[in-house]
Amino acid sequence: MSAGAVKTGSRTTRLLGFAVLVGVLALILLGFFGAPEDDEQRDAVRMIFVHVPSAFLTYTALVITAVGSAMWLWKRSRWWDIVAHSAAEIGVIFCGLTLFTGSIWGRPTWNTYWDWGDVRLVTTLILFLMLVGCLALRSAGGDEDAVATRAAVVGLLAAVNVPIINRSVEWWSNRTLHQKSSLTDGNLEDLTLFTLVVGIVVWALFFVWAMIHRFRIGWLERQLRAIDLETALVQRRAEASTESAGETSQ
Amino acid sequence: MTGELTPRPPRPMRARKAPWVAGVVVLAVAAAVAALIVNLVEGSLYFYNADEAVEERADIGDRRFTLQGAPIGCSIVEGFSGDEPVVAFSLSFGGAAVDVVHHGDPAELFQADVPVVLDGAWVEQPPPVEGFAGIADDGWHFSSDRMRVKHDNDYINDDEYAERSALSDAGADSTGVVCEA
Repeated sequence: MSAGAVKTGSRTTRLLGFAVLVGVLALILLGFFGAPEDDEQRDAVRMIFVHVPSAFLTYTALVITAVGSAMWLWKRSRWWDIVAHSAAEIGVIFCGLTLFTGSIWGRPTWNTYWDWGDVRLVTTLILFLMLVGCLALRSAGGDEDAVATRAAVVGLLAAVNVPIINRSVEWWSNRTLHQKSSLTDGNLEDLTLFTLVVGIVVWALFFVWAMIHRFRIGWLERQLRAIDLETALVQRRAEASTESAGETSQ
Repeated sequence: MTGELTPRPPRPMRARKAPWVAGVVVLAVAAAVAALIVNLVEGSLYFYNADEAVEERADIGDRRFTLQGAPIGCSIVEGFSGDEPVVAFSLSFGGAAVDVVHHGDPAELFQADVPVVLDGAWVEQPPPVEGFAGIADDGWHFSSDRMRVKHDNDYINDDEYAERSALSDAGADSTGVVCEA
């Protein structure tokens, strides 16, 4: 590693990373060997330990994206813009994971990978596409402030989807294939509940770890752009001075 | 070349938008979201519950639709419709029963009392499956070719389930339909 390399890690992130690794190990042991199988779903129920935490962290990421977006629009604070960007990027990963694990879980339990008639499934897919759109807007380039503003508007609109997704199984209680909330309305066996909580905690630690790193990368990218611009201006001024001096001497 | 560095005259300031414009935009977005929610809540019809499907049978006619209900344990029969293997059963919801003939393999978790969501159509004919006496027995059956299981959010192990089943078996079927001995 070169002497001038900039790192995004710190003592805190290293501790967090270690805690995530230990947590994942504990989750695997509890999920596969500790928690009992379900009377109906048998071993397929173990998907709950990944699917539900992923969905929970998707919502969390969207809330942070919405707050960051609103603060950018209000205060024009670059700090909040980077927060919104980081949360949206991590949110798209968790949202994708939610859709993927839900689909795998659906095959043995619902007898289908996907159902276009189910409101929760379709609204979650819409959320995923909106997040991808938000990130596409950011990578499209252009004036930095304008890009941030457009992404903030899409981020806020995407967040509107969160309560619809979350409440869909209540609002359409007899109109959805997806079961109601396992945590608030469900009947979870003690060790199943404990393992699920462990899953949420581990995913939350990973979320924090990823947020810190992604934020620091965003902040460094911003500084780099500013340095590049400053360097280009200095070089251009130097060139102009040289040309001007040459014309005078002739 | 040096002209490129000459400061350009500032662009004229754009007229500041009136605060009411922002208010109108916020109201428009809020109205759109509200309309979306209302439309989704009122307009979404994923499946007919068994009682609704029976009530609206005349309107539905022979078009394909999706039906939901819980299979009644004592009615499930594996048999043949002609040469084709089928699963025949009655399901119920909201106090109404529907006789079903499902073509193809049933879902892995298909079992009594666990609701299913079926794609198919009404057929004005008693179920053509030998040995199947439908509980609805109204001269109609629902012919389905796609089955999904709508399981609940109770995750319990076998021991607890056995206790619960024993209590349930002592009384009527949980769908509300009492199976004859």
